[in-house]
Amino acid sequence: MPLASRAYEAPDIAAVQELYHSKGWTDGLPIVPPTEDAVRACLEWAMMPPDQLIGVEPVRGLAITAEKIAINAVMAGCLPMHFPAVVTAWTAMMQPEFLVHGATASTGGSAIMVVLNGPIRKEIGATGTFNALGNKDRATAAIGRAIRLCLINLLEARPGEIDRSTLGHPGKFSYCIAEDEEDTTWLPLHVQRGVEREASAVTVMAAGAPRQIMNEWTTKPEEILETFAADMRANLRHYSIHPGNYAIIVPKQLREHLQNAGWTKTKIAEFIHERARIHRREWADVGKGSVVRDKGDRVYPALASPEHLLVIAAGGPAGGFGAVIPPWLGNKSRAVTLPIGACVDCEPPKK
Amino acid sequence: MTFRVLDPTPEKAPPRGQKAARLDTLKGKTVGFISNGKEGTKGFFAHVERLLREQYGVKNVVFRTKTNYSAPADKHIVAEIRSWDAVISGVGD
Repeated sequence: MPLASRAYEAPDIAAVQELYHSKGWTDGLPIVPPTEDAVRACLEWAMMPPDQLIGVEPVRGLAITAEKIAINAVMAGCLPMHFPAVVTAWTAMMQPEFLVHGATASTGGSAIMVVLNGPIRKEIGATGTFNALGNKDRATAAIGRAIRLCLINLLEARPGEIDRSTLGHPGKFSYCIAEDEEDTTWLPLHVQRGVEREASAVTVMAAGAPRQIMNEWTTKPEEILETFAADMRANLRHYSIHPGNYAIIVPKQLREHLQNAGWTKTKIAEFIHERARIHRREWADVGKGSVVRDKGDRVYPALASPEHLLVIAAGGPAGGFGAVIPPWLGNKSRAVTLPIGACVDCEPPKK
Repeated sequence: MTFRVLDPTPEKAPPRGQKAARLDTLKGKTVGFISNGKEGTKGFFAHVERLLREQYGVKNVVFRTKTNYSAPADKHIVAEIRSWDAVISGVGD
């Protein structure tokens, strides 16, 4: 099947860069030229025809095809073996409960965080140890960047156009992590969220910037988790009081204390659910007294229920540094987990 | 070396709605306000309501608020628009 996209000719690599930058098709960094061969290699790896409909953006009705995602993935530096993770992330982002338009357009400035689980991590070299939230490997860097380039080019999420972010954050360049499943006794995130353990999966979450915490001064699970909960309380006070999906990144040094004491992800989430909550009157302490009104005694939890917490094992082997990743804005967007290779909204087979 | 590279955009404009017929006058009409629920809409819409009633003779003003300010208006609100002569929807940030 021929590709449907318009082709441009450029005499050299510098001309390719200028073409794409001048048309507003980049994130400001150089791109990999999306040639037909490179795009076809992605599609063939995923066994997808170019016109396969990945989804229709629910608010503006934009149809997203595999070919267009592949072009942007190549531009981001993806290899063909990275492409299925990008497509699955986009399939997840197209689900109505994710509300990708709001998460992308909002002044709140969130980014789409992608979490990789399952065998694909090892196949593509996605790592979840050193520098887990920073630059760490080719796979996560390129997959995360592909999400952003797709948003820019497929949903017109350019700053000042559809993207109305006041500040944004560095995760808007690339925000992809892999869970360190090998060095933990905990269930992987995708299993916690209902996917078969043997499957590879992608979780997407409309996420604020990571808020780093540190507690190297205790081995007690309750005290370690209190530090995470305190940071979530701070987010409720300083940012948004509404509950949503939060993620916490727990590094090996802190994980071991929790695991040795028999704490599972479920128990952790139940503890955090109880501890990460504030009274509305606390807004008066941080300069927001005008909107407390007569609701000062009302309690606002960070999590509507424990399962809204995404507990992720990741980080280098040393250091009591964890992170809280807050939601874009409360419950406006729900995190979505999908297995790679699954068919969403497929037509039933014809008899 | 010449590169032949592909357009990363949809190359098609998103579907667009059609404009409603324009009104000759607002006098005696019903105007609906759809608020996104943000704090800023309260004072702004109250001011616009006063202008519409006092300066343009609008008869009825209906206020409705979306349940999610980042999502399209709820279906029951969209359905109700049919009974209004005009609608004002604003961001209110």
